[in-house]
Amino acid sequence: MNVIIGLINGMISSATPLLLSALGGSLTFYAGIFNIAMEGMMLSGAFFAVLGSYFLHSWVAGIICGILGALLMALIFILFSIVLKVDEFVTGVGLNMFSLGLTTYLLRQIFSVKGAFTNPGIVSVPRIHLPFLESIPFLGKIISGQNLIVWLALIATIVCNFVVFRTQFGLRLRAAGYNRTCLDTSGVSSNRIQAISLIICAVLCGLAGSFLSLGYVTLFSENMSAGRGWISLAAVILVSGKPLGIALVSLIFGLADGLGLYLQASLPSQFTAMLPYVATLIALFFYSMKSINTKVEI
Amino acid sequence: MSELIEIRNLVKIFPPNVIALNDVSVYFHEGEIHALIGENGAGKSTLMKILYGMQPADSGQILINGKTVQFANPGEAIAARIGMVHQEILLINEYTVWENVVLGMEPVGLFHRIDRDKARQQVRTKIDEFQFNLDPDARVADLSVAARQKVEILKLLFRNVSILILDEPTAVLTPQEIPQLFDELRRLRDDGHTILFISHHLDEVIELSDRITVLRKGQKVATIDTKDVTEKMLAEMMVGREVIFDKIKDGIPPGVAVLDCQNISLRSPITNKMLLQNISFQVHASEIVGIAGVEGNGQLELVEVMMGLRAADQGSLKINGSDLSGSSILERRKFMAFVSQDRSRMGACLTASIKENVIMTHHKLNSAFTKSAGFILDFAHAASFAEQIRKTFDVQLNSIEDEMRSLSGGNQQKVILGRELSLDAPFVLLDQPTRGLDVGSIEYVHHQIIQMSHDNRAILLISADLEELFRITDRILVLHRGEIVADLVTDDTNITEVGYLMLEGADHA
Repeated sequence: MNVIIGLINGMISSATPLLLSALGGSLTFYAGIFNIAMEGMMLSGAFFAVLGSYFLHSWVAGIICGILGALLMALIFILFSIVLKVDEFVTGVGLNMFSLGLTTYLLRQIFSVKGAFTNPGIVSVPRIHLPFLESIPFLGKIISGQNLIVWLALIATIVCNFVVFRTQFGLRLRAAGYNRTCLDTSGVSSNRIQAISLIICAVLCGLAGSFLSLGYVTLFSENMSAGRGWISLAAVILVSGKPLGIALVSLIFGLADGLGLYLQASLPSQFTAMLPYVATLIALFFYSMKSINTKVEI
Repeated sequence: MSELIEIRNLVKIFPPNVIALNDVSVYFHEGEIHALIGENGAGKSTLMKILYGMQPADSGQILINGKTVQFANPGEAIAARIGMVHQEILLINEYTVWENVVLGMEPVGLFHRIDRDKARQQVRTKIDEFQFNLDPDARVADLSVAARQKVEILKLLFRNVSILILDEPTAVLTPQEIPQLFDELRRLRDDGHTILFISHHLDEVIELSDRITVLRKGQKVATIDTKDVTEKMLAEMMVGREVIFDKIKDGIPPGVAVLDCQNISLRSPITNKMLLQNISFQVHASEIVGIAGVEGNGQLELVEVMMGLRAADQGSLKINGSDLSGSSILERRKFMAFVSQDRSRMGACLTASIKENVIMTHHKLNSAFTKSAGFILDFAHAASFAEQIRKTFDVQLNSIEDEMRSLSGGNQQKVILGRELSLDAPFVLLDQPTRGLDVGSIEYVHHQIIQMSHDNRAILLISADLEELFRITDRILVLHRGEIVADLVTDDTNITEVGYLMLEGADHA
């Protein structure tokens, strides 16, 4: 029983950063931006979250700094790809590398450590304990004790789904992706919509980064995002951006990740660490099989 | 009637040396249907784009209700109650009709949630007001082109536009859909809307408009009341000389058989329907053979089989005795020149330069276009070749290095024709070569086709325009449900007979 509870909790914590950054990616996906910079935004978010939390002695300040760090990346993205019309892919690759370089440099300069910075002075984001629900067998140990950001991710999923499919902004957001000329001639600036989508994406990636360095663990290590931004991109493309689909896919990846940790007891860790990536490939395989089949029917 | 829009001395120059509008002054009355006609490149679209705020004018003034206006973008024009429907329809296919219509001015409730019921109701009211016969909940992707056009007009009316500009609205419609559009436009006019429409179909212009402005090479020729003109007069004003609509094909006796198709059949792998059934015909040297038929009766498949894009289930194709039934496309191209009806996808590469487009196919067949054993293109030769085509075919262009898509449709077609007709192929396959062209260009193309027949070439002309077939062909084959139902000598038949065969097949006899 405890194994299963541990596995589920592991799945939830692995899924949270993926979910948050993939939700951000879904907004830019709908806006018609080929945004691969979630990785860089998340990494920057993780570093600045630790920076804020350590120097300002507050997890709230940490999260705010994390979001600002991710926003910095988004503003660079907006400047290059929307204002200056540089290719989005090139901008994204550049930003991801810049983010890795910047955070590694600042880590060594500010904290004078190589590899990872860990210190009791970093205030982590609290877990939410629900005393009344804690006593429920099985479920209680899952619902209670989750990190605050896990709940934020859940709320973000519902809000994103509502915003994209039900609101004025959502209609315009998807219009920007489908046919931006049409949106422009309807009197709405598609550039503005795309810029807003990138800013919201950065806020979500900043939260994802904060969770990595102040929730999942309480430290910052070089290249801490470790490809999670790329997996979230795969998740977005896999389900064509649908927020609820993203939640499901994130949980599957999270499960693979959690499973990997458990299997470390019996398998070499190099292999177990591959699990989320193998899961990505398998998911892509089945997804493409599905789309090939539907093409034949037409 | 009062002067609603006054355009004074408008000048527009596209650097370095194309004068799109040269001192044009026009007045549009309130509540009229005003047609703008002219050849490709006469400046009709440019004039309307300036009025709509899509392009700035170099000099001149636009006055609306006596006040000078200058729109920086279409949004400002729409705010001033001017709306334009473009040739290519700008809608979001994934959205429903009402979503498309309200986009940009959505009624919202709490948390900016779209008030769907209210939006749907507003759209439905507009649809009923103008009797548009549309379902607000239909997805645009599922609609016909005619219905999409209506959605575009509806979208503008929803923004309370009172002046509607339509750029060649009938170009995308089937003949059956055109009267309905015209009825709707008339209803809009009777409702007090002003309609400006661009066209080069003279019959439509005469049927629909109240007044007509004729442009030629960037200058206004005249603005006239429709009731005072005939099609012939308009054509002359547009072209600047007399245009003859009569038959121009001379009866030179045909020579030997060049193209020989025998028993070509093709079955659809999906529906198992026969797309082509035992198609057999010959085209002789110096002969122009036309293929008439309602679109979708096998024309597309026949072209694909002849060009080698699709393998026939049976049958043979020979040119000058060589069997090409199983040959590659390049092998066939040694014997065939081909003008596709699909300019933007098959006929040309719109993002390549004009020069590059001009040498396509030639670069494989003619070693003069390459150096170093065919590995390197000879661009100097290509450039002189492109300049030659520009001169002989009178293509209006800035530079042969520009992208193909910078040209108007008519000029693109001239480039393609120039390229294909310069191939020394004994057989020429023309699939709707004059589609979308203006009167002057059509006349020009027809003369080129006749000229080719004088060069002993065999020509197969697929056309949806019966007048065109009667004007320049020797024989007409009628294609009906994938079968050739009649092989008629043009001089011994008439439009009514061919029209009947196209619709009913051979059964009526």
